Amino acid sequence: MLNNLISVKNLKKSFGGITAVDIKELSFIEGELTSVIGPNGAGKTTFFDLISGFQNADSGDIFLKEKNISNSQPYKIARMGMVRTFQLTKVFDRMTVMENLLFSGSDVNNDSFLRSILKLNSQKVYENSLKDKANEIMNDLNIGHMADSYARELSGGQKKLLELARAIINEPEILLLDEPLAGVNPKLAEDILSLIKKLSEDGITIVMVEHNIEAVMKISERVVVLAEGSLIADGSPNEIRTNKNVIEAYLGKDDE
Amino acid sequence: MITKRFSLQFIFALSISIFSIYLVFFLNPDGAIRILLNLVTFAGIYGLSAIGLNVHFGWTGLLNFGHASFMGVGAYVTLLLMPHAAGREGVVVTTGLPFFVALIIGILAAALFGLLLGLPAIRLRGDYLAIVTIAAAEIFRLLVRDLESITGGVYGIINYTENFQKYRPSFIDELSDNLGFSASQGWVCLAAWISIFFTVLFLKRLSKSPWGRALRAVREDEDAVRAMGKNAVWLKLQSFMLGAGIAGLSGVLLAFNYGSLESTVFIPLLTFYVWAIMILGGVGTITGPIFGSIIFWVIISETDRLAYLLFENANGQQLAGVRFLLVGVLIMFLMIFRPSGLLGKKEELLLDVK
Repeated sequence: MLNNLISVKNLKKSFGGITAVDIKELSFIEGELTSVIGPNGAGKTTFFDLISGFQNADSGDIFLKEKNISNSQPYKIARMGMVRTFQLTKVFDRMTVMENLLFSGSDVNNDSFLRSILKLNSQKVYENSLKDKANEIMNDLNIGHMADSYARELSGGQKKLLELARAIINEPEILLLDEPLAGVNPKLAEDILSLIKKLSEDGITIVMVEHNIEAVMKISERVVVLAEGSLIADGSPNEIRTNKNVIEAYLGKDDE
Repeated sequence: MITKRFSLQFIFALSISIFSIYLVFFLNPDGAIRILLNLVTFAGIYGLSAIGLNVHFGWTGLLNFGHASFMGVGAYVTLLLMPHAAGREGVVVTTGLPFFVALIIGILAAALFGLLLGLPAIRLRGDYLAIVTIAAAEIFRLLVRDLESITGGVYGIINYTENFQKYRPSFIDELSDNLGFSASQGWVCLAAWISIFFTVLFLKRLSKSPWGRALRAVREDEDAVRAMGKNAVWLKLQSFMLGAGIAGLSGVLLAFNYGSLESTVFIPLLTFYVWAIMILGGVGTITGPIFGSIIFWVIISETDRLAYLLFENANGQQLAGVRFLLVGVLIMFLMIFRPSGLLGKKEELLLDVK
């Protein structure tokens, strides 16, 4: 069961002279809810960009399900079952909430030009079942009433929910969440947290970057701490809470 | 509610179009039919081209400023495959493919050129793509100009219209005798509007389909599209091919409307006319460019007469200047009061390019 779904080895990325990511070894285990934390500029988002293929590493290897995915196209990585969200929400503004979900859930063959021109009955059946699924997810996330609104009419928090809904309908095995609670009011943050927890209980492996330490400690099974691109701590929330390196990284060195 | 507003917009666009056509009769007491036919033919051809451009920009968000080259590839490939005469000496080519075969190859060639021009779009976005496409279109035009032995260069291609005109239905000849317009232009006009009809049907089928949805998703956010496991590059290339194919067809019609073809037809101005038509009609709509085109051509062909009414002593050159001034003022007014074009939806206002 303790299967390493994602693992990276000697992963390095720098911008000019600044090292953004420099990780010797790090793995994420199937079914676990892991949070990646660290001070601003610790390389968390860059790390996400590297494993999801949006940036190429300078050196090192990334494995997804034991397949080397270094330098793979983002869409190929996503098709292997790893879906990510973005720090700044990227919803399809001028499409309806429903269309946002349908596009994400739709199989690549269903999107094909030929099928769309032929308009076969099978496509209609598929689209209808997709619509049912989308409605179910939207109702679970309390955005069902917005189904026919344009996504740009949603509030910031609702956009976060839409992004999550869009990721869920894609049926990922691994979900990379980049700051799912950023700019969300406390009530909605609670809802999103319990949703993430539920997804994790459903068996989805979740890796999450988040600044809300309280929330992270509450729901994570494991916490990974990055500072200046390097891994400085890795363990259960309780271990991290008392880890000397972590406290130093966040509060600065204690001058004795 | 949406349908109601849409139909109101539709009636608005239709009445403006009808009013514009009425204006033609008003401004040209004699020979209005001939002028009108000329105008409606150009409106059809440019409208068709703008429909293709809308697939690129309105649906997929691709800033394509090389549209004239797609029209050019369609036109040149089709004409050169048929019997024609080209160049200074008028080298006569008597053998060639029948019109419809040549047309299909021409459209496919335009689509292929779209694929080729789309390749830089893999890496480029927004304004950078615009620069590359406009440059590629100019390269195409200059190549055509300089490859005189094949394309006739600046001397152009002639004697090709018969390939198409021999299919002309006889009722057009009867009508042209009675109403006093050119039968061959009548046939081009009819062909243009038939092409528009079928292209619109074709695109209507696609626009709400999963494929159309995928293109719009690319327009909104490519990164999100990739993150969902969709190949954004391939979607963009498909969009380039479809829009270029439609432009290729309009280019062929343009060649038959002119009766002779030179490379100067495909200057960047052609692209900008098509852009203006698309914006007037409504970016992202399917039928919008048709109305946009009618109104655009009424403005282009009638403003000099309007200007003449305003400035009696002006000479031809000055009047031409006034014409474009009026076109500019009209487009400005439209952008202020109807920024989404005649048929566009406010919520889908597409002119804010990322």
